[in-house]
Amino acid sequence: MVHDVGGSSVREPIVRAEHAVLPWELRVDALMWTLTDAARPGGPHMTVDELRRGIEALPPDDYRELGYYAKWLLSMIAVLAERGIVDAAQIERRADEIVRERGHVHP
Amino acid sequence: MIPAHRERDFEALEAAFREMLVARGVLSDRDVEERVERMHACRPALGAQVVARAWFDPDFRARLLADGSAAVRELGIDVGALKLVVVANDERTHNLIVCTLCSCYPRMLLGMAPDWYKSVAYRARAVREPRAVLAEFGVVLPPGVAVRVHDSTADMRYLVLPMRPRGTEGLDEAACAALVTRDAMIGVAIPEAGPART
Amino acid sequence: MTYAFAAGDRVRVTERSATGHTRTPRYIKGKCGVVERVCGAFRNPEELAYGRTDGPCIPLYRVRFSLSDVWRSDAARPGAAVAADTVDVELYEHWLERDGTS
Repeated sequence: MVHDVGGSSVREPIVRAEHAVLPWELRVDALMWTLTDAARPGGPHMTVDELRRGIEALPPDDYRELGYYAKWLLSMIAVLAERGIVDAAQIERRADEIVRERGHVHP
Repeated sequence: MIPAHRERDFEALEAAFREMLVARGVLSDRDVEERVERMHACRPALGAQVVARAWFDPDFRARLLADGSAAVRELGIDVGALKLVVVANDERTHNLIVCTLCSCYPRMLLGMAPDWYKSVAYRARAVREPRAVLAEFGVVLPPGVAVRVHDSTADMRYLVLPMRPRGTEGLDEAACAALVTRDAMIGVAIPEAGPART
Repeated sequence: MTYAFAAGDRVRVTERSATGHTRTPRYIKGKCGVVERVCGAFRNPEELAYGRTDGPCIPLYRVRFSLSDVWRSDAARPGAAVAADTVDVELYEHWLERDGTS
């Protein structure tokens, strides 16, 4: 599977440059730990293993090209949508609305 | 799954997702802020503190190698449910940590993992050609030193205990801790006496 | 909890493909190694990955493999593993069988 890369024939040099984590990425990280926290009242809403499974289900090109936290976010939405906790289509529409509200040009 | 258009505004998607979670009572924005604050408290200085203590206290070192999480808790560091395995470098062994399947990492002691640790290139190559990877990071091992790679595939998380560098005999524990970098505790660097670099 | 293996046991990683989420990397399947330690027992990630959180805990081991055994075809490449180099991999008991070969 796409994520199972140990020993795969990758001859790329390792890119050492590190990007400063953006605030939205930190929030994605925090959301994941909050949602998977077994100590929360009512228990966790998902497991870290489900997050991984969701990421592993991405098409190979997306797995390679998408940013780390973009993958986390897509996986979390998919897993919680499976469970009926969120409505993925509504989230997508709302995201588009937020972009329009900000006045960004969006393809 | 939401189509993963690469141009998608993920910042907006995160906001929309969180908005729905809050609206449905799953969590609050305050929950997320508190978690972000906790994340800022996790940084490599904590791991360095553990390493320096092991250099100065042989009994602590033995306990650390036997049960990493319990030993770290002795220092008042909260590691939650972390199951820590500490692996020691010595004259014949150099340890290197990787998670080939994703990016498992002892965040509570090192902070967030660097981008390169999560990269396909590192994950693919560290278990196959560790010496070439080390050389890229500027580490060339002396003859007679074996590389021991640890693939963090399940519940354990790993910290490398580097050897105490020569020339540090006059330094105290805090000064020694300052020489221990995040990269040394992953295994892609070797601490040196003198100013620490990232 | 009963553990099928102990530190020092020679084991072989089962060579089977699995559908769904597993934590056994492809590169180690079919390889033989030695149990370095018993890690304890934990819930099966193959179940947790589908939200099944109430299953039994299963034994987890760290198993040490010779890298030159794992990557036999790499012997001549620069930067490849040398004879004493190893990889330790955490593996769940249902992926391991006793290796009877010497």
